[in-house]
Amino acid sequence: MMERLKKRRWGYLLSLVLSVLLAFAIGALILLAAGFDPIRAYGAMIGGAFSNARHVGDFLEYAMVLCLTGLACVLGSRVGIFNVGGEGQLLLGAVVSCQVGVWLNGLSPWLVIPAAALAAMVTGGLYALLPGFLKVKVKVNEVITTIMLNTIAASLCQFLAKGPWKNANKNMVAATERLDPRYWFKTLISGSSLSTAIIAAVVITFLTWYIMQKTSLGFEMKLTGQNPRFAFFSGISTDRLVIVCIVVSGAMCGLVGMFRVYGVEHLYRSSISNQYYFEGLTVAMIARYDPVTVIGLSFFFAILKIGAQGMELSAGVPNQIYLIIQTVIIFFMAAENGIFTSLRTGAMRRRARADIRRKEEQEHV
Amino acid sequence: MDDIAVSFRHVSMAFPGVLANDDVSLDIRKGEVFALVGENGAGKSTLMNVLYGINAPTDGQVFINDREVTEFSPRTAIGMGVGMVHQHFMLVPSFTVAQNIVMSREPRRWRVFFDNAAAERQTRHLVEEFGLEVEADLPVEELSVGLQQRVEILKTLFRGAEILILDEPTAVLTPQETDELFSVIRRVVRERNMTVIIITHKLYEVMAISDRVGVMRKGKLVGVRDTAQVDEKLLASMMVGRPMLYDHLEKTGVPGREMICVRDLVVRDNRGLVAVNGLSLSVRAGEVLGIAAIEGNGQSELIEAITGMRRPESGSVTLDGRDATGLSPGQIRAMGLAHVPEDRLATGVSRDATVADNLLTGKQRQRRFNRFGFHQRTSTIERYAQELYEKFDIRGAGTDVTVGSMSGGNMQKVVIAREFSFDTPILIISQPTRGVDVGAIEFIHSHIIDRRNHGCAILLSSADLDEVFRLSDRIITLYEGRITGEFTGTFSKEEIGYRMTGSRKDKEAAS
Repeated sequence: MMERLKKRRWGYLLSLVLSVLLAFAIGALILLAAGFDPIRAYGAMIGGAFSNARHVGDFLEYAMVLCLTGLACVLGSRVGIFNVGGEGQLLLGAVVSCQVGVWLNGLSPWLVIPAAALAAMVTGGLYALLPGFLKVKVKVNEVITTIMLNTIAASLCQFLAKGPWKNANKNMVAATERLDPRYWFKTLISGSSLSTAIIAAVVITFLTWYIMQKTSLGFEMKLTGQNPRFAFFSGISTDRLVIVCIVVSGAMCGLVGMFRVYGVEHLYRSSISNQYYFEGLTVAMIARYDPVTVIGLSFFFAILKIGAQGMELSAGVPNQIYLIIQTVIIFFMAAENGIFTSLRTGAMRRRARADIRRKEEQEHV
Repeated sequence: MDDIAVSFRHVSMAFPGVLANDDVSLDIRKGEVFALVGENGAGKSTLMNVLYGINAPTDGQVFINDREVTEFSPRTAIGMGVGMVHQHFMLVPSFTVAQNIVMSREPRRWRVFFDNAAAERQTRHLVEEFGLEVEADLPVEELSVGLQQRVEILKTLFRGAEILILDEPTAVLTPQETDELFSVIRRVVRERNMTVIIITHKLYEVMAISDRVGVMRKGKLVGVRDTAQVDEKLLASMMVGRPMLYDHLEKTGVPGREMICVRDLVVRDNRGLVAVNGLSLSVRAGEVLGIAAIEGNGQSELIEAITGMRRPESGSVTLDGRDATGLSPGQIRAMGLAHVPEDRLATGVSRDATVADNLLTGKQRQRRFNRFGFHQRTSTIERYAQELYEKFDIRGAGTDVTVGSMSGGNMQKVVIAREFSFDTPILIISQPTRGVDVGAIEFIHSHIIDRRNHGCAILLSSADLDEVFRLSDRIITLYEGRITGEFTGTFSKEEIGYRMTGSRKDKEAAS
């Protein structure tokens, strides 16, 4: 059993590596055309991520965000829903958890941090419940509802940060009150964004992977995603499972928002997330919704992104080259399926034809 | 040579992992009805797909009217006079008959606008020319299956087909519709000198309609005979490669207590129309109740309502004395019911999951497959799947391949293996052997009777009447959601056929 699965795995990895190489090659051409030295630029990019401890901390933090949001997306896709609303769930989780910390100011961190985490998860989860419920009960396409809800959430958070929950500082617009430093997650590498949140992230990542890949519940989720009618027919409460999964997906996104507030920004403002969920979703798509691949690719893209920022500083190359490379990889991975399938069937046909010819020759002899 | 319509020369067709056609050489004469028979996966459809240009052969040549086919595409095939009616119709349901027929060659007004009047005129002309009665201006979705098929045939004729391929045309037809189809075939052959190639499973149809018959087995053409010189037994033995005997099925025991009880059930279909209309039935332990009905007369909705796949409008379903009306499939299964669904691809399997996963489904929560109640025991599952795989004689590349890569017959065995292994006192079985080859049919039938003899209450629905006759202790006929007859002991096929099309006898008596 494993052998065959491994084979498929290798095929995927091969095309991933090829796509990445091609993407870098195309990026190099663009850099050349723009008058940069691609080798120097790429050197600066890879070097940028590892040049000092601060950058390493930054890319680890970003990898954590990508990994958690990517897995949140995978969780939805497992039961056949495409949660595009993670960004909104993340923002709401961030603003609410931040405000909880403001409200509970003065209490013990042992109380405030769990309360904030819970608030973030409940907020994100409830915000995902709505599209989940509409999907199950009224068959409204979740892609549309979650996209719409993103916009609403972003505006709502902005409203809260500018209005009722705005900080007292007149010079700072659209930001909430800063959290008391005793509630901040400890920074693990000084000067970087990496905080103790990564410990929680590792635990969550492991649990998500474990439940999806190793348990009977994960098995039921997989069946529901593959063929909901069959899953229902076999006795699985598919509606409940779909709702649970999208709510947990939303809760994970909300929690990422909380991590960003308590670990990095220490207050809510819109820079808490720069479309991070969509980056995570992209990773999930490139990984074909495979959790382990999501984890690996999160590191890869985090290194690229942080490295690209370093490259801009040291080599003067605009960091948008990162976006170009990422997009080209997506393009190739999307095209890969068709290209490889046709190559594979072509090879098989040739082999079959050769077999026939050999057989005929033997018969003639 | 000019009386040969189609000539295959050493045609081989390889798909990944299988040689679907293995060096097939065959001449089909102009103006004959040629039947192509064989078990599932024997390569009949593959060969015809080559002729219709859907697949290019891996090796060999194809000649149509002595011209070699150089480019394999349906467009070229149509241009060379080949028409094909697929098992699943390629019609647009909301379009009218005329619109469907002229599609891709629409008459236009000022070269741009679709000319509906001309389309209907051309259709009526075609209808008259071939004597195939059908209303040109009706939407196709309002036609019966038999008439839809007729539209498909007219479509190919409109495109100028001289060679007509029919892929299992009678699978969805009533006996009466089959008779009509056959008279249509005879007419186009006699009056137009058309060549008709008919793919079928049903040997009596071969005898009824064809001039010559070709038998395929495992990709090879094992023989071509004049139909007049063979009989069904000989064909069956050629198909399976050994003398095919339908053994007598030993039925033992007496019916026990009532296990399935349906009272005044009303069920609506997907369109919201009443599909089951106040129906009552009962099945006892150790008894097979067969439903004989033409597709679309409520049998699907009835079974879906009993098994929890569809909520009934009113009435009640009682299983082993307990009320099961409107419960979910999970709850109903827990009451001791297993279900082989009519559409295995849509309902019966997950194509993307492995054979092992498909066999496990429904038992994934059982203690023996989980450590601590949640951690899946992979090796136990693997062993269990392997056991079922061998017990039910599933043939494929093992339990670790996806079900979608298997043939229909083996897929069905996966479904049967899973559902029968629940070992429930109640079994609901729809289309147990649809698209399954002769050898596997025998296997599945003996398993069904074995369960019956062990006291299982079985409700069976099948489009294959012979199957219903063979397995059932009692037969009911359904027509438009009502029971029109109940038969035990001796009965005639014709009588049941009439009951299936409504109480035609009563109507005749009344008029």
